[in-house]
Amino acid sequence: MSTNRWLATGNYFTSYKDEQRIFITHLDRTFFSIFISLLFIWPLLFKLSNKYMLVIDNILIAIVAIIGLNIVTGFAGLISIGHAAFMGVGAYTVASFARTLGDSHVIITHAWPLLILLSGLTGAVFGAIVGLPAMRLKHLYLAMATLSFQMIFTWTINFLEFFNQGQTIAISNVFWFTGKLGRKDHYFFWYYVLLVVVILSGFMVRNLLRTRYGRCLGAVRDNDRAADAMGIHPGLTKVYAFGLAGFFAGIAGALHAYVYRGVGFESFTLHHSITYLAMAIVGGLGTLHGSFWGPIAIMTLELQMESFAEYAGRILPSDWNLATALKPLSFGLVIVLFLMFEPRGIANWWRIARSYTKLWPFRY
Amino acid sequence: MMSYFFQLLVSGIVVGSIYALAALGFVLIYKSSKVLNLAHGQIIAAGAFITYALTGWVGIPIYLSFLLSMVITFFLAMSVEKIFLRRLIGEPIISIIMVTIGLMSILDGIIFLTPFGSVNFSFPQFLPQELISFGGVSISWTQLVGVIITAIMIGGFSWFFKKSTVGISMRAVSDDQFASMSVGISVPRVFGLAWATAGLSAAAAGGIIGNITGLNFETLQAFGITVFPIVILGGLDSILGAVVAGIIMGVIQQFASGYLDGNFGLNGTAEVLPYIILLIILLFKPHGLFGIHEIERV
Repeated sequence: MSTNRWLATGNYFTSYKDEQRIFITHLDRTFFSIFISLLFIWPLLFKLSNKYMLVIDNILIAIVAIIGLNIVTGFAGLISIGHAAFMGVGAYTVASFARTLGDSHVIITHAWPLLILLSGLTGAVFGAIVGLPAMRLKHLYLAMATLSFQMIFTWTINFLEFFNQGQTIAISNVFWFTGKLGRKDHYFFWYYVLLVVVILSGFMVRNLLRTRYGRCLGAVRDNDRAADAMGIHPGLTKVYAFGLAGFFAGIAGALHAYVYRGVGFESFTLHHSITYLAMAIVGGLGTLHGSFWGPIAIMTLELQMESFAEYAGRILPSDWNLATALKPLSFGLVIVLFLMFEPRGIANWWRIARSYTKLWPFRY
Repeated sequence: MMSYFFQLLVSGIVVGSIYALAALGFVLIYKSSKVLNLAHGQIIAAGAFITYALTGWVGIPIYLSFLLSMVITFFLAMSVEKIFLRRLIGEPIISIIMVTIGLMSILDGIIFLTPFGSVNFSFPQFLPQELISFGGVSISWTQLVGVIITAIMIGGFSWFFKKSTVGISMRAVSDDQFASMSVGISVPRVFGLAWATAGLSAAAAGGIIGNITGLNFETLQAFGITVFPIVILGGLDSILGAVVAGIIMGVIQQFASGYLDGNFGLNGTAEVLPYIILLIILLFKPHGLFGIHEIERV
């Protein structure tokens, strides 16, 4: 380790332990803590309208989901076209409590952190079950397995009377120490909950990647035979990756249920799965901060598309179905263009910008 | 009771043979370039819509527009390959598959831009309306003609792969790309051709199914996605498997909706059964019925 703990002018690692630090210098740590505290402070300073608060909540939910998708698609290299269905599993775990106990039972309103955790575990179980073919098969077939889980999920929700046949199942507002949350504070309150969840899961994944269990994901992705020779069980690793992805998806789904105060099947369709895949690709597969960039970029794009469709809808004839068309069109284009021209995603731009400012004004 | 059984069997075979035609194109692309084309369902839908647009709006007779839409999708799929997938040769297979997911989304968007995304159309009737029935089993003219065209096309494709020079070169590329390059086959050209023929067969399947069920985008999408369970059941790289599995899946779906729906409180089982079969096949017999056993294993 270099003597100056504030500024690292190069690579001075003398042990593997040094290299695995999350924050290389004190400066990194300071900037990070300032950034996080700003995230906590700004809603107190600027009052945003509920509409934009919901957008921000949405982005945070998507970030939790994409952290999960990045584990399975980015780190373990398995395509999942059923991520929205895993989110749905989480959301419908909450919904099944609401259906059996009534939507304002004390478990739902008071024990919500436990319920969110439980949804994550249910998601993990379903993820591991769907990932079971991974014991024998490679990515091509797993894409099919997740696709079929997506279709089976949609059908089951639409079919079962217990789940209200896909119609919205209401979930009431939760209680905090100050009492029941009102309509006005709802999105504001969940912003903080989501922020805490995002930070926790970010640290969880960051720490996971420094351990044996995280490194074996990348090892299996890069070369499963070599990984096998080193004593990693490739099949089990993949099942475990699916389980982890299911866990984060389940948590994201439960949060979605609480933020929207209801669960309906139309938030967990194949289109959503593809949107999540787009987020993961745009952000940068196989990087942790890609999971933050992707949702932000895609959600912003979605907002822009919506306002553009509204604007263009006034000029164009009404049978031009612009509002529904623009979303898949733009997401598809974004997926294809990023894969063709920037397969490492926005995370790569971030990396370039970082190293540029670090070295400035010297170029090399 | 028996005639009900045969009725379901016959309509299952009708739907199944169209599935077979649709799955054929998918297998073709997989066989030659190992790409899992998830946009195949959208190409099928596009084929159906182009056929309708040529007949209903331009006014070309349906026989001609059916052929013309096959030609159009032939070039459409070829250009898709040339624009998007040609650059990605050599990239990891996972990003190529994700490009096809992107294409699926793009094609969805383009179809939503047209009236087909929101309005249902149906083809003008050009065949006699009455049913042909023998021994209590009846079949409509549209279905009969559809099956005949499908059978002819599948026969034609089999001949094409077994006998024609281009077909043999495609089989060679699927066998070993380096060896086929060394005997003078242009591998990129074969990839393009595989996509083009896949587009052609998809358009044919789309045109036929559009005539039978009418043009509803969601139905056609569901039809297109059912192709995936079929190719897994048949074995991803087997053309015979695609045909047999297509017919099996069609029959299973018809029996499911004929016997299961409304009986045990069940409904719409035909939509979900293929995917349950897919999961079971993946767990126990992942190379499918006719696939080569050396599939990619962990």
